[in-house]
Amino acid sequence: MKLPPDFSFSQNNLQDFLECPRRFELRYLLRQPWPAIQSQPVVEHEQHLRRGEIFHQMVQQHQIGLPVDKIGAQAYDQTLLGWWEDYLGSMPQPLPEHRLVEHTLQSAHSGYRFIAKFDLIAIQPGEKMIIVDWKTSRRKPPRAILSQRIQTRLYPFLLWKCSGAFDQAISYSPEQIEMIYWFTADPLSPERFKYSQKQAERDGEYLLELVQQVEHHTQTYFPLTSQEQRCSLCVYRSLCNRGITAGNIDDEIDEEVDDDRLDIAFDQIGETEF
Amino acid sequence: MINPLPLMNLPKLSSEQLQAAQAPLNRKIFLQGEPGSGKTTAGLARLAFLLESGIPAEQILILLPQRTLAKPYYDYLTQNPLPPGSLPTIVTLGGLSQRTIQLFWPAISAEAGFARPHQPPLFLTLETAQYYMSKVVEPFLNQGYFEQLVIDRNRLYSQLLDNLNKAALIGFAHTTLGERLKQAWNGQPQHLILFDQAQDCMNAFREYCMANNLLDFSLQIELFIHYLWRSFLVRNYLHTHFHHLIYDNIEEDAPAAHDVIGEWLPVFDSALLIYDQQGGYRVFLGADPQSAASLADFCDEIVEFPPNLICPPTVRQFQSALVKAVQRQLTHEELTPPIKTAFSHLPARFYPEMVDQVCKTIDELVHQKQVAPSEIAVLAPFMSDSLRFSLMSRLEEYQIPARSHRPSRSLYDEPAVRTLITLAKLAHPHWEMPPSREEIRSMLVHCIEDLDLVRADLLMQMGFTAKKQSFPLRPFEEIGEDGRERITYSAGLRYSRLREWLLNYIEQGEEEELDVFFAFLFGEVLSQPGYGFHDHLDDAAVTARVIESIKKFRQVIEPVRSQQPGFSVGMEYLNMVGQGVISALYLPPSEEEDAVLISPAYSFIINNRSVRFQFWLDCGNYGWWERLFQPLTHPYVLSRNWQPGRLWTDADEYETNQQSLIRIIRGLTYRCREHIFLCTSRINERGAEERGALLLAFQGLLRRLHQQGGES
Repeated sequence: MKLPPDFSFSQNNLQDFLECPRRFELRYLLRQPWPAIQSQPVVEHEQHLRRGEIFHQMVQQHQIGLPVDKIGAQAYDQTLLGWWEDYLGSMPQPLPEHRLVEHTLQSAHSGYRFIAKFDLIAIQPGEKMIIVDWKTSRRKPPRAILSQRIQTRLYPFLLWKCSGAFDQAISYSPEQIEMIYWFTADPLSPERFKYSQKQAERDGEYLLELVQQVEHHTQTYFPLTSQEQRCSLCVYRSLCNRGITAGNIDDEIDEEVDDDRLDIAFDQIGETEF
Repeated sequence: MINPLPLMNLPKLSSEQLQAAQAPLNRKIFLQGEPGSGKTTAGLARLAFLLESGIPAEQILILLPQRTLAKPYYDYLTQNPLPPGSLPTIVTLGGLSQRTIQLFWPAISAEAGFARPHQPPLFLTLETAQYYMSKVVEPFLNQGYFEQLVIDRNRLYSQLLDNLNKAALIGFAHTTLGERLKQAWNGQPQHLILFDQAQDCMNAFREYCMANNLLDFSLQIELFIHYLWRSFLVRNYLHTHFHHLIYDNIEEDAPAAHDVIGEWLPVFDSALLIYDQQGGYRVFLGADPQSAASLADFCDEIVEFPPNLICPPTVRQFQSALVKAVQRQLTHEELTPPIKTAFSHLPARFYPEMVDQVCKTIDELVHQKQVAPSEIAVLAPFMSDSLRFSLMSRLEEYQIPARSHRPSRSLYDEPAVRTLITLAKLAHPHWEMPPSREEIRSMLVHCIEDLDLVRADLLMQMGFTAKKQSFPLRPFEEIGEDGRERITYSAGLRYSRLREWLLNYIEQGEEEELDVFFAFLFGEVLSQPGYGFHDHLDDAAVTARVIESIKKFRQVIEPVRSQQPGFSVGMEYLNMVGQGVISALYLPPSEEEDAVLISPAYSFIINNRSVRFQFWLDCGNYGWWERLFQPLTHPYVLSRNWQPGRLWTDADEYETNQQSLIRIIRGLTYRCREHIFLCTSRINERGAEERGALLLAFQGLLRRLHQQGGES
């Protein structure tokens, strides 16, 4: 099996590859739907994800200048209202004025395309670039785990690679980039990751190594994860003969799945057919 | 030919294409030409040029009237190296509307008159809009509305929705629809009341949507045009966001889109508007080539590409002769001997014979002349399920891959889906929808690995309880030993596990959402080793699609209807499937590229791909000429080009039918690179003789050619 010519590497698919190469193969290369429950309780989880979506949208509305009172009125339950008030009271400050919200960036690295959708990029031209990611998961993960997440390595790297696109006259060094995770579960303690030239080099090598591993597996096979406990939170568990019942949502590290596909919006009207 | 820009992975460009692509970054160009003259390639080259010139990709807006037309742009962006940075936005007017509504909802929802402005909008799909329309119309039907109209319920709902869409896309109040249709009506006076009734239903539907934050397509467009686009905040957002426009196939878009672009154009730094001179095929969906053409006035320059690069001279000559024949103006001078190489006639007496001939000819092309199957298209004005099925299965016999614009079977005909529905009925006895013995038997065959029909039948006979029991499956242990041995203990074990799972679910006493129920059932039983879905990846794909559909249905139904006591979304969904209100679900068509395409002629044209060989099926069919019978709507009256108050006469009907046949002939021939087979059947699919306008024109052409042959 070959990587499709239009394949883009993202934090979602690389994280999946790290956790289980077979899951990566099934989900992104074979595109095999497997509609089992991922984690329980289902409806609560769905409501939680929905809240997360609305919260991201409210933040986006705030960042583009819609009136705060009108945005806040959309908070349909106490949890969402709490998140919103926490955001207003303790969002990372001060952020540079120039903001890019829900912004997709892509770049080739050693012949492979990487892509990411950023919640917020705040830029002070020539000075600094700050990435802010709003996390609505139930718990704040430990810093050590966060630092190992693909997102923490891919996002600043990609921003650095794409920094010339914002203003060709200005070049940024990795030291001018910072990534901030802000948590609804712990709004007063955001996690900040300063970037550096050394880290950028390490990340570049690391990402390349990962995609080369993917390439290698396309020539051989994609093994199942050796950490079987992960399978209870994977929809493919029955396909891989690794369990029956879905695990508990509390065991998931990151409940959000960012949509980092190519950004194309179409309407629902029917195609011409007579 | 000149070498393309280094970044572009495009075919070699003509000087005209290169000129359009490399126009200055402050120039607005109106590019027109025949289909196949290379306009979209010029659009792709423009996109590459903009990116090469250092324009940030997020400043580029690529606007299209329909999703399928985006494919060349999407393929270009995904398959070519791009400068580091963002990506252009590819969107339709509907998509742009939906996106901006979502973002600016709090700013406009109260002003627009929604009853619950603080709650989020619920975007309706075609399916869910049809569902709500059916709920709104139901009380009217009970009052006797539409009594004298013989029409399938779902067609009634879709025509009402279609009218609302037209009003939004053309730009008049939906409250005037009935009056406009009445003013043009020239038939039986008793039909006029139907337009009043339709108006009542449409008004009630709109009120219902406003009261419940439901946004069907028409309301999305109206919100965008009347509120968002008029808002300084939104305009400023869009103006600062997008600086360069590529708008392709503008002739297939509706006046509402043209109005917006007309106002927006002065603000763009550059624009390339691409106009297909022979287009306008989506007239039934509001396309207006005339209003598209008026956008030329807002551009700095009009560029016309030289004629078609695809269509060879002989096919072009055939096109011209056939059009003249339709207009009854064909003369001997139009015909030269080479025209005969452009087409063949495949005559048949009966319909199946015609299908046979088509497949046999395709076999010769593919297996003797080594023509790639993807270079062949089989086209008809309508593609009935039976015709599609006979073509597909006949081609399969010849071992020729074929693909259709959509598969011939609805998702609900798939055995996997029928199995799921049977299990849902078993697990919800309070719905009072008990499955039949046959349904249960098929379910068992499908669910339990190695259980054949005979054993399943045995299991049914011995394991089916009396009718009075709410749960009809008996425990395996209660079956006599002889029976158990014949069924086999391994199959019995699986049967018992499934039965137990269902009983546990029933005993738990709380109804899960139907999509959640299916997901649990699939994961915990059906996809486990020993069950039918474990090794059948297609069944998993089908199940995923059904679950997705139910989930979407639930998400827009629940907020509105779940307040009603005892309301079950799952039961409602199954009822709607049973009534055919939810019927438009199909598995995505096969993506196999090297396959013969079987498609309605209009769908083929709008997808804008050319082939070497075309088969025009059943040329005598009136469908090539006549428009669909739509008693409650009218594509030409509900148009900006119609003068309100005028009567729609037989002469209008004749003229538009003539024009539409001419348009379809041109649309098909422009997309043919070698040869057309005109297939006729003396007796049509329904056993009648049909002599439609295409057949008459073709016979006229043959007659002239014959006379010419005799004279020479």
